[in-house]
Amino acid sequence: MEQYYGLFIYGLSLLTMGGIYAVLTLGLNVQWGFTGLFNAGIAGFLAVGAYVQAILTTPISRDHLGAYNVPIPLAMLAAMVVSAAVAWAIAKICIRLRSDYLAIATIGIAEILRLVFKNEIWATNGPRGVSQIPKAFETLPQPWNTLAFLAMVLGIVAVIYLALEKARAAPWGRVMTAIRENETAASAAGKNIEAFRLESFVIGSALMGLAGALLAQYLKQIDPQVSDPLTATFLVWVMLIAGGSANNRGAILGAMLLWVVWSGSEIVSQRFLSLLSSDWLGILTITEAGEWSIRFAYLRVFIIGLILQIILQKRPQGVLPEKRPKPHPRLRGDATAASQGD
Amino acid sequence: MKTLLSAAAVAALVTAPAMAGEIKVGSVAGVTGPIAELVAPIIGGRNLAAEHINAQGGLLGGDTLVMVLSDSQCDPKAGVDAGNKAVNVDQVVAIVGASCSGATNGMVQSVTIPAGVVNVSDSATAPSITDLADNDLVFRTAPSDAYQGAALAKLAHDAGFKKLAVTYSNDDYNAGIAKVFAESFAGMGGMITANQVHEPNKASYRSEIATLSGGDAEGLALFAYYGGSGITIIRNSLETGVFGKFMAADGMFDVSVIEQIGAENLQGNLMITQAASDPENNSYQLFAAEFTKTGMDPAAPYASHGYDATFLVALAIEKAGAADRSKIAAALREVANAPGEIIRPGEWEKAKKLIAAGTDINYEGASGPVDFDDKGDVAGFYSVNRVGSDGKYAMEYLR
Repeated sequence: MEQYYGLFIYGLSLLTMGGIYAVLTLGLNVQWGFTGLFNAGIAGFLAVGAYVQAILTTPISRDHLGAYNVPIPLAMLAAMVVSAAVAWAIAKICIRLRSDYLAIATIGIAEILRLVFKNEIWATNGPRGVSQIPKAFETLPQPWNTLAFLAMVLGIVAVIYLALEKARAAPWGRVMTAIRENETAASAAGKNIEAFRLESFVIGSALMGLAGALLAQYLKQIDPQVSDPLTATFLVWVMLIAGGSANNRGAILGAMLLWVVWSGSEIVSQRFLSLLSSDWLGILTITEAGEWSIRFAYLRVFIIGLILQIILQKRPQGVLPEKRPKPHPRLRGDATAASQGD
Repeated sequence: MKTLLSAAAVAALVTAPAMAGEIKVGSVAGVTGPIAELVAPIIGGRNLAAEHINAQGGLLGGDTLVMVLSDSQCDPKAGVDAGNKAVNVDQVVAIVGASCSGATNGMVQSVTIPAGVVNVSDSATAPSITDLADNDLVFRTAPSDAYQGAALAKLAHDAGFKKLAVTYSNDDYNAGIAKVFAESFAGMGGMITANQVHEPNKASYRSEIATLSGGDAEGLALFAYYGGSGITIIRNSLETGVFGKFMAADGMFDVSVIEQIGAENLQGNLMITQAASDPENNSYQLFAAEFTKTGMDPAAPYASHGYDATFLVALAIEKAGAADRSKIAAALREVANAPGEIIRPGEWEKAKKLIAAGTDINYEGASGPVDFDDKGDVAGFYSVNRVGSDGKYAMEYLR
């Protein structure tokens, strides 16, 4: 029984972390999926959100800024606003850069942000990070606290999903697609390309900041290592590409799926090794199994890379490909009428 | 159909209950990530303890101690995930780990403390771990930074240094020790002429050394890992002639420092503190002899702490008389602290008999006496290592 209760709790933690990554992928989807902005600095905006949340809510400490006693929901809002503001300042400078150049610029910015958080020790406690971050619902008894936190994360994902679906089908979303597909044509249609690109970048980054705020609460501890590019930027990219770029459901599915693979692969490999080294198979000694388990840890990173390769080769549109919103019935009627008139 | 079958196989593999006759302890470590090379010997220390226990009768009624390895990547995200898997999926009795202070801090606060599982860390040294509201579930065999920085500062002061420059590698471990060192040295009336952080893994540190050179410092207190930046900084300092005397903490303790810089350059010029146990107490030698047989270096940072953490968890399970999470914490203090018959590394059979007979035991570990205070911390015991006339480290225990 305990075994199944444990698996249930682990399942909740998978969904929570998957949900937080879903907020990140939805943010990236606005930037890349909708508008075609290559943001390779996701980790930077995640870190901004996480540190804002941490500093605004943690109790007094002699190691870092704090003791502002801001309520958790307000701090989450602040994390979004600060992240959006940082994104706005950055976008003002480099939003005109075309795809690869924007990627290079954003990688640089994410590194700069990480180094700022690492070196401004008076504010962030440097490499030691901020500890004892308050978490929403943590005073409830187990497992209700875990369930309530999960419900909050999934609720946020649902709200973002509905809002982005609305936006995608609206004229705003169609302009974004036009910019992604053919900037010159969109510009010729009288759209202010730069302003739209800036909007998309700021909205996406605000969502990434919100994900950071959720992550800070969930982990209760953040340090510069949280914005490690491997798990905070590239994993998010793989999630979006695998799930289906420009498809909001795909973004959520990719996040959940990849996080389950990322986390669960370790359990499968450990169980597999313990089976091989068990008494009745006895293929490996315990010592050999120990050495192999270290190798499997590296294999995990390789598997994620491999998944990206296979998907890019075999299914570049992702598990759930983009579906263009149906034109408004009235517009469709007009179009038919127009073609008949010819 | 094929996918269905493989999915079923995976599900069966994951949900398979612990095999009969096994007691699982989580072994969470930063296997991949920035300190991967330092973690290998620590895992080696943990596994050696498990081997000793299993070879000498196992736990309780002959159960095998299984260390379930999980990767914390030195990152709180991965640390929380690894802790979740160990506690919930593998249903471990207790956890040893999770290497870096940040990953440990995240894991214990989000997972092990709420779940009521004991965590014994063998390498997290952040002072912030001391102050957690942990319901007495978080222990460390690694001493908090506060001790080693102060020990080295006293050593420097006693050696007659008045003015020192400080540089530290920008990671949580070295930054923590450097901070305490600078505060303690200034508190003893010494002067810190310059305090400069540096990024590890650069090809040259000449510009950093130039920044540190002002102020007539008599030596350089260097807090870094030998492979990351330490050796390069010593080499550049000697080449430029800015510093000739160095003091360092255990991240620098490695024979490659002597091999690459040359013993003649370091004799009388280098002091390295290292967590150590009293040589008059032969626990460390017992451990070192066994650990060398596995082909690893017993002096590797925190390898002996890994051994002690694992051995103590096993003793606590034996003392509690059951693989019961809720009884480990109390039992851990009883087996680790005085009074009691002394148990040393490798003496599992003896300990098992004494516990069965109801005798109190007191584990004296390879890393030190490992007596937990009421915060679950151990006091730091250090040696100072200088380069002797034979070109090897000569160790002196600090009392």
